[in-house]
This record gives sequence, C-alpha cells and structure tokens, in this order.
Amino acid sequence: MTYIDVDGLTKRFGDTVALDDVSFEVPEGEFVIVLGVSGSGKSTLLRTLSGLLSPTEGEITIAEEPMIDPRPEVAMIFQQHNIIGDMTAYSNSLSGGVHRSTFFSSVLQLQDDEEKHRALDALDTVGLLDEAEQKARSMSGGQQQRVGIARALVQQPEVLLADEPVASLDPGSAQSVMNYLRTASEDRGLTTFCSLHQVNIARKFGYRFIGLRDGKKVFDGYRDDLTIDVIDDLYGDIDTEGMFVSDDGDADAAADGVVST
Amino acid sequence: METLTPRPTASSRRDENRADLRVTTDTSNSEGAVGSDDTVPDRIAEQFENIKQTRRRRALGWLGLIAFLAFTTLQAFAATELLNPDARLETFRESLTGFFPITDYFGVIPFLDVGRYLEFISQGNLLYDPEIGGLLFQFPPNPADIYAFFFQELGIFQIFGEAGITLAMGFVGTILGFPFALVFGTLGSERVTPFPFNFIFRGTMSFIRAVPAIVWTLIFIPFLGLGPSSAAIAIAFDTIGNLGRLFVDELEEIEDGPIEAMRTTGASKPQIVFFGMLSQVRTAFIAWTLYIFEINVRIGVTVGVIGAGGLGYVLASQQNLLRFTNMMATLLAIFLLIISVELFSQRLRSRLRSDEVEMSIWELITGFPRRMAESALK
Repeated sequence: MTYIDVDGLTKRFGDTVALDDVSFEVPEGEFVIVLGVSGSGKSTLLRTLSGLLSPTEGEITIAEEPMIDPRPEVAMIFQQHNIIGDMTAYSNSLSGGVHRSTFFSSVLQLQDDEEKHRALDALDTVGLLDEAEQKARSMSGGQQQRVGIARALVQQPEVLLADEPVASLDPGSAQSVMNYLRTASEDRGLTTFCSLHQVNIARKFGYRFIGLRDGKKVFDGYRDDLTIDVIDDLYGDIDTEGMFVSDDGDADAAADGVVST
Repeated sequence: METLTPRPTASSRRDENRADLRVTTDTSNSEGAVGSDDTVPDRIAEQFENIKQTRRRRALGWLGLIAFLAFTTLQAFAATELLNPDARLETFRESLTGFFPITDYFGVIPFLDVGRYLEFISQGNLLYDPEIGGLLFQFPPNPADIYAFFFQELGIFQIFGEAGITLAMGFVGTILGFPFALVFGTLGSERVTPFPFNFIFRGTMSFIRAVPAIVWTLIFIPFLGLGPSSAAIAIAFDTIGNLGRLFVDELEEIEDGPIEAMRTTGASKPQIVFFGMLSQVRTAFIAWTLYIFEINVRIGVTVGVIGAGGLGYVLASQQNLLRFTNMMATLLAIFLLIISVELFSQRLRSRLRSDEVEMSIWELITGFPRRMAESALK
C-alpha cells in the first residue's frame, strides 16, 4: 500500500538543479533513511516533502493528497533544532499543537488539559519530562533536538521528516537522539524520513535507504542491499573505509566503536 | 595671504621628499632581498608595488576627505554665526556666580553654597511633595491616610513632586505607546506584511518620527490644554514612531529556522508570527522598551520647558526670572531623576539579558552589600 508517492520530482534554484527527476514510493510506517554527501539534495528532498518548498516539476502525494503547503499531518525536525530558545521545553513542546487551538488560547496557553498532557507525554517519550520547566536555550544540543522531536510528536503527525537531526551533535548524543526518534516513530506508527551523512548511524538505525548524488536517486533498497559498493558510489572518491567499518552486518558494533573513541 | 601661501607648499614638498626617500630605501631593501634569493622576485615585487599603490591612493582619498570636511565645517561655522559671535563674557561670568553661589563655610572657607540648592529643591517640591508624603510617613502609621495615599490621592508618582510629574509623563507615554508600537512594528516588518503594504506602517512611523515630541505637544495643546496630559500623549505618539522602528529593525535580524518550524506544524499566520518571530525577540523588545522609557523621561523634561509641567517647567520659569541658583538646583534634580531611571532600567536590562537564574527580591536586597563588595574588588 503506497502512502507517500514521489513522482518525477525536480527542484531547480535558478540554474542549479537540486533534485533531478526523483521518484519513489513508500508504504505506511516505514523508517526511511536518505543518504548522500552535503549538497546531494537531501535537505531539498525533505523540505519539498514537508511543503516548505514547492517542486519545480513533478508531484508529491501523501495519503492521496498532493503536498503543496505545509500541513499538520507532516511534521519536521531540523538540524538546527529551530526550537524557541526563550521558551521552556514544555512551551516548545506545546507549540507543536497550536494548529488545533485558536490564536489567543495558544498565546496565553489556555489549551485544555488533554493538550497539555499530550505535550508532557511527548517530553516523556524523549526522556525530558523532568526538564520540562527548563529554558530551551540553557539545554544541551542533544536535549534541544529531543525537544524538537517532542514538538513534532505533539503535532500528532502521520509523517515525520528529520533533516540531518544529528549532524551537529557529538556521537553519544547522536545515538541517543536517533534512538528516541526510532522509538517514537515505531510506537506511534509514523512513516519517517531521516536524512543522514553518517553511514554507521544510518546502518544501525535504517530499514530502508534512499541514496542521492547530485540530485539524482542512485540507490533505493533495504538494509541487505546497502553494500560497500553502494556506499562508494554514493560518496564517490572519498575514502569510505573508515565510515563503513564492517560490511558483514555487524554495523551496531561498528557504531558503538565510534562512540567509545 | 601671500605670506601664507608658500608655507604649505614648502612643507608638502618636504613631505614628498621624505616619501620619496622612504620609497627608495624600501626598493633598495627589497632589491637586496631579491639579490639574495632569486626564486622570489617578480610576483612578490609586483604585489608589493600593488599594495604601495593602493595605500597611496587611499591616503590621497583621506586627505581629500579631510580637506572637504574642513571646508564644509568652515561654511557651517559661518551659517551658525560662530565666525564672529556676539560673545558677552562679562554677563556669562556674572551668571556663573548665580549658577554656583559661593558662601564662606565656618566664616573662612569659601565653597559652593549647597544649602541654597537644597533650599529650593525642598521649597519648590522638586523631589518630594510633603503634603502627599505626609500621608504615608507619620508615626504611628495611620491606616486611613495610607489608604488615602494609594487610592484617593493616587500618590505613588505625586509623592516625588515635580520629578514625579516628569517621571509619570515618560511612564504614561511609554505604556500608551507600547501596544501601538508593537502592532505597527510587527506589521511594518517585511516578513509579516508583504513588501509594498508594509510601507503603510513604516511610512506612518516615519511621519511620526519626523515630528519631534515637543512639536507633538504643541499639536495636542488645543485638545488637552498646556499641561502634563498633552505632554504624555505627545510622548506616547513619539514612542510609536521610535519604538516601532526599533521593533522593525529587530525583526529583520531574526532567524528563519523557527519560522519554518512553525510553518511545518500547520500553525495559522498569526500563530507563526507570534511563536516563530515575536518569541525570538521578546527579550530584545523588553530591553528596547526600557531604553525608550529612559529617553521618554528625558523628553518629559524637554516638553516641560515649553510649559507642560514637571521639572522642565520649573527650569524654564526660573530661567525667565533670571534666578540662576534655582535653575541650577532644578538641574541637579533633573540629573538625579535621569540617573536613577537609567540605573533602574540598565539593571533590569542586564538581568533580562543574562542567562542566570533570576534572584528573588529578598536575595536582591540582602545580597546587595556582598555583590557590591565583589564588584568593587573586581
């Protein structure tokens, strides 16, 4: 059953082609990792999927509805967290659900208890219930990203898009953020897109992989198809041996090894 | 003139000579370096020549600019009649003895007669109104009078006499102007209102700014009469223009990230503006508002001078009576008022900006001597 249908997606910024005729179909509930070097079009793909950018050509359909503008069913998590530093973790989490309330009740935080419990529940999911009253600005990078996940969950989405959620985090925080992301998406049955450039983390958490190079889709397959040759193809001339410690399926150990160093 | 002309030419020629000398030494040096190492020469020499040229051109540019400024300043001096001023040093010296009265302390030591300042400050109710203050400060305390102070006389500002009136003008102006400044400033930002339409709001604010507060007071005199009320309304108007402009500028600096994040949550346009934009600048807005409050108290003094009341009015009337000692006493009171407002606002702003956990009022008071000592030792 196709849930997300991307058909002939092309996005140009002036003369630059960011995405070139990308097509794929994703069934409901899949955890998809988008791989590629910087500038390969990962961010553009996710931003187009979220409705922040509109495609130059082609079409995106989510739940049989074309994706033209951002909509509540599709939540996004950003590399830069993009949470509001001056507000507490709780207020940030609560702000994910403002589309369900009127302007004044959202500004004065007069939402009903159900909504507020939902915000706290989301913070609990990402392990930040005790830090709910902390100012987001005073939190660590990993914690801020988890607040970003909580906000996305309060939105009650069906699709979760994560644009390099761990790119600016240290390996330890990266692992924990990815763990929370996967748990949340499994528990709530979310179709998840996560772009990454760390191959070891990708192999540890991914189920399905889409590889981009220069805006073209060069790989689309499941975990077993992701071989060292595919990685070499994606990352070109770069020495990928260090990034891909073992190709015999023991990627978890490899990823843990990275953390401990 | 003829005697003057040769001199600059001679000196400039000397400068040129010196410059030539320097250049020749430089070239000889670089040639020496080239001689010792053949691999470097052309590219480095060429770049060196380039840099020298650029620097010489820049120096010429600066010289031209300075000459132009000097010429223009001379014209401005002429326009302000400063070239042949109607200076009356004798009168000024006389007035100075009025401004700074001297008395003999203990019959022998001549020094500034501070007593006469204090006398006028208390007699003119510049800083304290005993009639209102008497309700609050009496022993034993009288509950009925205290009630009257807060709820009948509404004396929180009036207890400070003329200074209180000036302070209240600035305060009311800031409070009344703030919501309008917030609306105009937000709607004037290009990110909230698309390009040509945001100029409706920016234009309105520019117009308000183009008219100084003192002129706004004149405009409101037919409406509210010459007094603190028209001054307060005028200051409120001025606040819309100035504070709103600061808000617009602040909103230009915000990051796109949180705005995009709020868009993806499916929030409505007003919600995106509030959560994505205004929440990023909340602290800055409060800080700017406090800054404008400081300025508004100063404006309160200025509009007082044309008769709107408060310390400015006292200053102007004493000047008309040529009582320079009283004028100086009023200036002291103004100084005290402005300094206290600035200290208060700056402390509050630095507290807002700091990430530290906020102190409770109790800590603020009891910990004061220790913090004072700590900052004195730094």
